[in-house]
Amino acid sequence: MFEFINTLLIGLTSGAIYALMALSIVLVWRSTRVINFAQAGQALASSYFGFEALKYVDSFWLALIIAMVGGALLAAFIEIAFMRVMLKHTTSGPIANVAPIIATLGLLQIIHSTIPMKWGGADVLITPPLSNVGFSIGEETLAFSPMKLAIVMLVTLLLLFFTLIFQKTNIGLSLRASAFSPELARLAGVRVDRIRTLGWAFSGATGSVAGLLLVVNGTGSLSPTSLEFSLLLISGFIAAVIGGLESLLGAVIGGLLLGLVTAFVLMYVSDSLFFIAPFIVLLVVLIARPQGILGKKGGRRA
Amino acid sequence: MHKLSNLVRIILFIVLGVVIFILSNIVDEYRVTQGTTIAAYVVGIASIILLTGYSGQVSLGHGALMGVGGYTAALVGDQAGAKLMGETATGVNLPIPLTFVAAILAAAGIGALLGVAAARLSGPYLAGTTLALAVGLPSVANQFKSLGGEQGLFYIVGDPPTALGEGVTQSKWYFWIAALTTLIAIFWLQNVMRSRYGRIWKAVRGSDVAAELAGINVARAKILAFTLSAGLAGLAGALWAMTIGTVSPSAFQLALSFSLLTGAVLSGVTTLGGVMIGAVILVAIPEIVHSVVDRVGASQTVADNLPSLIVSALLILTVIFVPNGPVEQMRSKSMKKKARHH
Repeated sequence: MFEFINTLLIGLTSGAIYALMALSIVLVWRSTRVINFAQAGQALASSYFGFEALKYVDSFWLALIIAMVGGALLAAFIEIAFMRVMLKHTTSGPIANVAPIIATLGLLQIIHSTIPMKWGGADVLITPPLSNVGFSIGEETLAFSPMKLAIVMLVTLLLLFFTLIFQKTNIGLSLRASAFSPELARLAGVRVDRIRTLGWAFSGATGSVAGLLLVVNGTGSLSPTSLEFSLLLISGFIAAVIGGLESLLGAVIGGLLLGLVTAFVLMYVSDSLFFIAPFIVLLVVLIARPQGILGKKGGRRA
Repeated sequence: MHKLSNLVRIILFIVLGVVIFILSNIVDEYRVTQGTTIAAYVVGIASIILLTGYSGQVSLGHGALMGVGGYTAALVGDQAGAKLMGETATGVNLPIPLTFVAAILAAAGIGALLGVAAARLSGPYLAGTTLALAVGLPSVANQFKSLGGEQGLFYIVGDPPTALGEGVTQSKWYFWIAALTTLIAIFWLQNVMRSRYGRIWKAVRGSDVAAELAGINVARAKILAFTLSAGLAGLAGALWAMTIGTVSPSAFQLALSFSLLTGAVLSGVTTLGGVMIGAVILVAIPEIVHSVVDRVGASQTVADNLPSLIVSALLILTVIFVPNGPVEQMRSKSMKKKARHH
């Protein structure tokens, strides 16, 4: 029973991070209809921004905010310098559908090969700001530490923030309008290009949080070839897809589901299934509900 | 577009084969080995061109499918390597051509399964599913003892037959096998693309709905494309394994899938004509970069990462400026020119 609760808590925490990653993918998808495969690379870069910031500031949380700003700027830059140009140039032909996928994969590669040039290939360390030692109940120690609690709370906070922005503000309305129909939004006076850049920036900031939290949730070490980040790429994407790609809530449900499934598989089945488990979850969901858990029928536009 | 007759094509391929044969006797050993790698890339890139350029699907998992091919070939091939390492041999000991066939069949089988899933998915969904496969499959191979775990398996194609004489080195022998296999594969692929199925795929790529209205079974067409493409990837995997001499999870990582996709885009996904371009770039750029870096004296990390940076930058520039590839670009330009003259 105790083991079960521990697994649940571990799954919940990593699920929260996956959810954040999924959220950043959904934010880009909703604003430009592009799946940003470079997102995990951007998150990795932002984590290094955070590492760099920690040289100048003492507080991890301050560094997190600096990394968020850095991640947002990086994302905005990518949108303006690459995606905008590409979407204008490559509008037709057999490659039009796959061009965004290929371009973001190229960006991922570029980020992955640039980072070691700046920070080297070896591990760097980011000390978690809170204790990673679990709370204890009586004699037993839970697998839930102050750090993990902070992670779950931060994710909840960010989710509330984005839901509010999307549902209650003019910016949110413009974001939704430009995703739904760029031409109509333009006619209604929305500056679609700027709004799209904003969507990317939001997504970049969210991804940065996911990246840094991933680092401090683990051992605190960060390297360009980190396995966790390749897993983050896959998990974030899978979580977004099983959530339906359109919905913020769906992304969160997808992330949590994935986190729980991988935690339980790891604990009760076999650690050899760790990488293949997300894939199986994805296949099962896509076969049962091709539009995702919260996706609408016919809403699958690629 | 003017199409060459079959006879002319056969003659062209034979001439090409002879030229390659002569070249392999002129250049040094190292180039010959690079040629083998290029041949493996050509088959792999062709499999992407078939899938993406012709049937409009995308796969980020073809590196893993190459792995399926490579492992299959190693499992049914010569077991001398396994005995050398004291591993448990599978007891199968098929001749080389049959190991290639086995590689094709195994990868095509997995590809058919994937294709069934792929036919239901589009664009980003398919990309993500195959991406997950690309990451998942190598790690599965890692877990099985019979697949050699982290170390992998040996795949030894063997020495050249003594009948060929003294001058034939190991690397030349490998290269000839790879080159001949590649020529046959490309010739076959060209035939398929010129067949009814090629036209069906083009129709599906153009518009699912229109193809369906024209009486095409879209799902079946997509599954067939995926299966054939996976089979080609399997063959590429066997060639790849032959080049390295082993198969291991680390040889078939996500990066390989990316390389294939990059090569396909650089070659131009809509036509087989440029299939060499991408393969040569993939092999040449690391070497050029290394020689430049050696001269400039940059640090090791720069030297290690610069090639993939340059290749990725090329990839993005190609997607933006010549999305249909250099060959198609030139062809459409010359066609415009002709139109102006008439």
